[in-house]
Amino acid sequence: MSTKQFGDYIIRVDSIDKTFDNGVVALKNFSTNIRRSEVMVVIGPSGSGKSTFLRCLNGLEEIDSGSITIDGIPLDNDKKNRLEIRKEVGMVFQHFNLFPHLTVLRNISLAQMLVRKRSRSEAEDEAMQLLKKVGISDKVECFPSQLSGGQQQRVAIARALAMKPKVMMFDEATSALDPEMIGEVLEVMKDLAVEGMTMVVVTHEMGFAREVSDWVIFMEDGMKVEEGTAEHFFTDPKKDRTKLFLSQILE
Amino acid sequence: MKTSIYQFCKRNHLFDISAYLVLMVGGVLFLLKGAEDQGYYWQWFRIPKFLYEFDDGRFIAGPILEGLKITLNITWISLILTYIIGLVTALMRLSNSLLARGIARVYLEIARNTPLLVQIFFMYFVVAPILNIDRFVAGVLALSLFEGAYASEIYRAGIVAVNKGQWEASYTLGLSTYQEYRYIILPQAIRRILPPLTSQAISLIKDSSLVSVIAIYEMTMYANEIASETFLVFEIFFTIAAIYLALALILSRGVAYFENRYRVVS
Repeated sequence: MSTKQFGDYIIRVDSIDKTFDNGVVALKNFSTNIRRSEVMVVIGPSGSGKSTFLRCLNGLEEIDSGSITIDGIPLDNDKKNRLEIRKEVGMVFQHFNLFPHLTVLRNISLAQMLVRKRSRSEAEDEAMQLLKKVGISDKVECFPSQLSGGQQQRVAIARALAMKPKVMMFDEATSALDPEMIGEVLEVMKDLAVEGMTMVVVTHEMGFAREVSDWVIFMEDGMKVEEGTAEHFFTDPKKDRTKLFLSQILE
Repeated sequence: MKTSIYQFCKRNHLFDISAYLVLMVGGVLFLLKGAEDQGYYWQWFRIPKFLYEFDDGRFIAGPILEGLKITLNITWISLILTYIIGLVTALMRLSNSLLARGIARVYLEIARNTPLLVQIFFMYFVVAPILNIDRFVAGVLALSLFEGAYASEIYRAGIVAVNKGQWEASYTLGLSTYQEYRYIILPQAIRRILPPLTSQAISLIKDSSLVSVIAIYEMTMYANEIASETFLVFEIFFTIAAIYLALALILSRGVAYFENRYRVVS
């Protein structure tokens, strides 16, 4: 299936460890590399560390040891590096996290104006285009609470895209949605993948993983259990633990 | 359809209204009885001239209204300072700097755990001579610092109550800490803490009466003076109590109106 052209490694993760303050070990000696335009899907049971892995990539969680480099920029304590990475890595959350006191248009244009220093009209033009792309251009002046979950999540995706990120991360982006709204959000994500966006996706949607991903990682207890192309992963998993997980989740 | 008396009463809150009236009338009778037992000689007719007089048809404010003007001045200046001090202290307490947190903490503990009266005296007799400030400024500063400590706890609660996801979304979009507070966190927090901040303003109006101890001629100071000259103790103090009450009600009603108009569906 893969006629896709990948670039160089844009994300390099080298043996990172993360233990939470309460002693829970979230990541153990975890390494992976992601190429430009690659769609990586991370799956695993809850508590396996997959969300923590995502949150470490943009510095939302601090790693204890190891290193993360994104597009040549090390994620360290240097504030400038950190800001650069925050700008280049877009993130979509399980609970959308839209700004409830701002209209849809303002949700999408605010950070463009503040961080990318675009003018209001530039930012709003960009916002309108993105809203069209995610299929909700008629909700510009609505507040988030007036939208359905699926619409809110699509606005959240547009908000992240407006920053023109080089990487998009999705942290269980469809887990909080009503079943009939999952499709519309996955559709937007698929379009992004086809356009060549580099994506790291934590999800329970196996259909999406199978159809869209270039590389699948199965995690448990903060470690990689198995990884491979979607084809290999879903048709011919090697490890028993992977087989068990897949049989349970594909039921 | 026929409605029973019970339903009628219920729908029109008849019971509640009558119970309320009975309680109010009872309260007034109780006060009157108390005054009568003391043999107090009410002289309400002497009160108006302390409020205002007409000289050849020209309105002249009496001492109470003059005092009210000073009270209002003290209140609005202190209120602005209170809100600024409160916000700055709250941000200091939430900052990563150990020094800022330490300073905020010490200030809070002192301001909240010593009597306002003592703080006013301290400001006037100890701090004012050093800084060379007059009694009005000393009074305003003492009040602002005292109320600011409480305001900061209100701000802090409001800020902490904003969903963690809002910080995370702002962080991933690349906003600076200042931008996060300015555009995302504070607008949401302020809407939530408007009612307790209003209570704080009302406390401030009432507490402003305490600066009379350093001889600032605000409303309570004038009332004290009139009472000691004329022995119209009850009349004068009831009058200014009613004025304080009116101020507080106007303020809280005003804020409630404002709040309704700018309510955000969330």
